[in-house]
Amino acid sequence: MHALTAFSMPALRWGGDPSGGAPYVYADPANPQSYTGFDYEFAEALAREMKMKAEFVPTDWESIVASLQRKEFDVIIDGFEPTEDRAREVLFSKPYYLFRLQLSVKRTDKLISTLEECKKHGRTVGTLVNCAASRLLDEGGYKSKGYQDPVAAYQDLELGRVDAVLMDVAGEMFYARQNPKLKAVGKPFKSGAYIVGIRKEDSLLLAKVNAAIERLINNGTVERIFRKWQLWDEEQLKLRSQQQPVFEMTNTKLNWSEGLIKLFKAASVTVLLAFGAMMIAVTLGLPLAFGQSNGGPFTRVACTVYIEFFRGTPVLVQLLFLYFGLPVIGITLPGWLTAIVGLGLNYAAYESQIYRTAFKAVPDRQWQVAYSLGMRPFLAFRRIIFPQAFRIALPPMTNDFVALFKDTSTAFAIAVWELATAYRELANATQSYLGIGLVVCCYYLAMSLPLAHYAHKLEQRLQRKSTGILSSGADK
Amino acid sequence: MIRITGLCKNMQNTTLLRNVNLELESGKILGIIGPSGNGKTTLLLSLCGLLPFDQGEITVGNKSISARESGINSEALWEFRKKSGIVFQHLHLFPHLTVLGNIIEAPMQVNHKTKTEAEQEATQLLEKLGITQHRNKYPEELSGGEQQRVAILRALAMNPEVLLLDEPTSALDPMRSGDVRNLLRQFAHSGHTVVIVSHSVRFLKGIADYLAFMGKSELIEMNTTEKLMNYPDDPRTKEFLLYSELN
Ligand SMILES: Nc1ncnc2c1ncn2[C@@H]1O[C@H](COP(=O)(O)OP(=O)(O)OP(=O)(O)O)[C@@H](O)[C@H]1O
Ligand SMILES: [Mg+2]
Repeated sequence: MHALTAFSMPALRWGGDPSGGAPYVYADPANPQSYTGFDYEFAEALAREMKMKAEFVPTDWESIVASLQRKEFDVIIDGFEPTEDRAREVLFSKPYYLFRLQLSVKRTDKLISTLEECKKHGRTVGTLVNCAASRLLDEGGYKSKGYQDPVAAYQDLELGRVDAVLMDVAGEMFYARQNPKLKAVGKPFKSGAYIVGIRKEDSLLLAKVNAAIERLINNGTVERIFRKWQLWDEEQLKLRSQQQPVFEMTNTKLNWSEGLIKLFKAASVTVLLAFGAMMIAVTLGLPLAFGQSNGGPFTRVACTVYIEFFRGTPVLVQLLFLYFGLPVIGITLPGWLTAIVGLGLNYAAYESQIYRTAFKAVPDRQWQVAYSLGMRPFLAFRRIIFPQAFRIALPPMTNDFVALFKDTSTAFAIAVWELATAYRELANATQSYLGIGLVVCCYYLAMSLPLAHYAHKLEQRLQRKSTGILSSGADK
Repeated sequence: MIRITGLCKNMQNTTLLRNVNLELESGKILGIIGPSGNGKTTLLLSLCGLLPFDQGEITVGNKSISARESGINSEALWEFRKKSGIVFQHLHLFPHLTVLGNIIEAPMQVNHKTKTEAEQEATQLLEKLGITQHRNKYPEELSGGEQQRVAILRALAMNPEVLLLDEPTSALDPMRSGDVRNLLRQFAHSGHTVVIVSHSVRFLKGIADYLAFMGKSELIEMNTTEKLMNYPDDPRTKEFLLYSELN
């Protein structure tokens, strides 16, 4: 009993995103069960200083503030910067690190060396979503593309899917500095700070955290940690001085009219994805259905393998595979095209099964009648079998199309700026999950309801022509 | 002209047709009678190239197929199929097409007739069987007898050398079957060959030049209608005719 109480120090539960989170906090490659990173070490030191026990709660970067509010953890330590919108929701501690932003381009790029040149030449700049860099790009009206993690951003830079990447120096050092295909251009610029985020009502905790940070800075612990990660520079000395160091508060306000336009653009992307993918699915499903039921032994197996593969693995994994896997063998598609192709290939597997059942439902004798009238198989199929099968296939196909509309949201995983991605970004940036969420739902409904309506109309029209294929073909 | 020699057909260890031999010159109508399940439909399907057979040879006009050719998708088989048209026992109208559509589909798609041309011919046929007013209806909106007539016209519209009909009048009233009888007679007189499978001996008596009796998987005998009706050779034929007269 007595021994236990010695260990039962109060826990300091801190949240951070370990996926693509190096060098902040990430799974230790040498020991994947545990985590490492400068924020991890800082959190450990902070807890010790507060006579508490650090307890890491892995979370998702985009929704980190919402998770804090939901009390999944008590503090945010994850390269977290103070911004105006966050100030409404979160208390900020003293800064423990002053960061800057670094622009990177391909080593072969002779044209671009500043952000302004990116704008002038219409280049796209990649960055993480919901961070100082992304806000700077948004405000400045640069063409940009948001990523969930830095690995994807720098890989896309290598592959030419974006023309430059703007990132915290910490991230740039870890992910890009060693890459021979990339180079940093210009000096690091704009300074911001990493702080600890705390719930509004926890002002007591804030005071304790602030006191601990001050001691950690003054006794050199912070310096030791950041030196170890090669992130220490003269700039950091400002942290020691008595007065509050100067850092710019990143400014974000949601401009509703601009937000709606942004969402509208994203909705158009969603429509493009859905229609493009459905086109591929509907077309490719046909040979698949045929191959599986009428092909030779090899074709049969090949089609079955294809169908079971795409139905048996998550579409999200398939998209990631296409996006990051294909470039390895030299095929580099832009994100939106990857999404169309990926979703199309996936849904083709489902469409093929719908076709197969539909064709089976048309009696064999219909083929024989067509043959007896002198029609060859292709003609018989086109004029006699297909129209009957189509009527059977239409309702399940409509269902699939509506499902596909919703599945376009998986494209966020490969940084396609469609409606769901736009929602996450805008809502996270403004913390207005409810309002923007309602608008986004309206957009989705505005797309799927007319679709369902027209499909229903078409069904009815075909239905009026004849209600059952069985009425004149009920025998063997 | 039709010639069948040594036709055999087995399926799943049962014999459906055993050594069937038959010859019929052009311009004639043959009626086939016989108890249910004896292979009449099977014979018709083989005759128009829709059912592979195991032995023998079938000649329709100037085209022949052997047992081997009947089972593989060859150009010869496609040519052979063009020779004859068939009206199925269960009709199998195209449910997605109107009455007119059912009739003009093959003439337009296969023989590349223009729509007006095909429609004109179809209208003439429709008039002969008295279903002109239904031309724009869908099959499911028709009565059984109306469907039957559409199926006959669909096959006739392709003007095949040989027309095979499987129970073409089972759903027709006496007046309507009279129309069909006239139409088929006209068709035969213009040099075509017609084979009709029917349970109605009375209908066949009024139209067929020859009658054939189908016993279990076998063609028992064939003769002119007159002779087979009055002087059947085989006791099985006698018995069958006796029963059909009683009904
Ligand atoms: N696909 C098939 N597989 C196995 N047996 C079959 C098949 N089709 C028909 N048969 C059998 O072949 C025999 C002859 O059938 P068929 O349809 O030719 O008879 P039918 O003389 O036309 O009879 P009905 O007068 O009743 O139409 C029947 O015993 C039937 O069960
Ligand atoms: Mg039959």
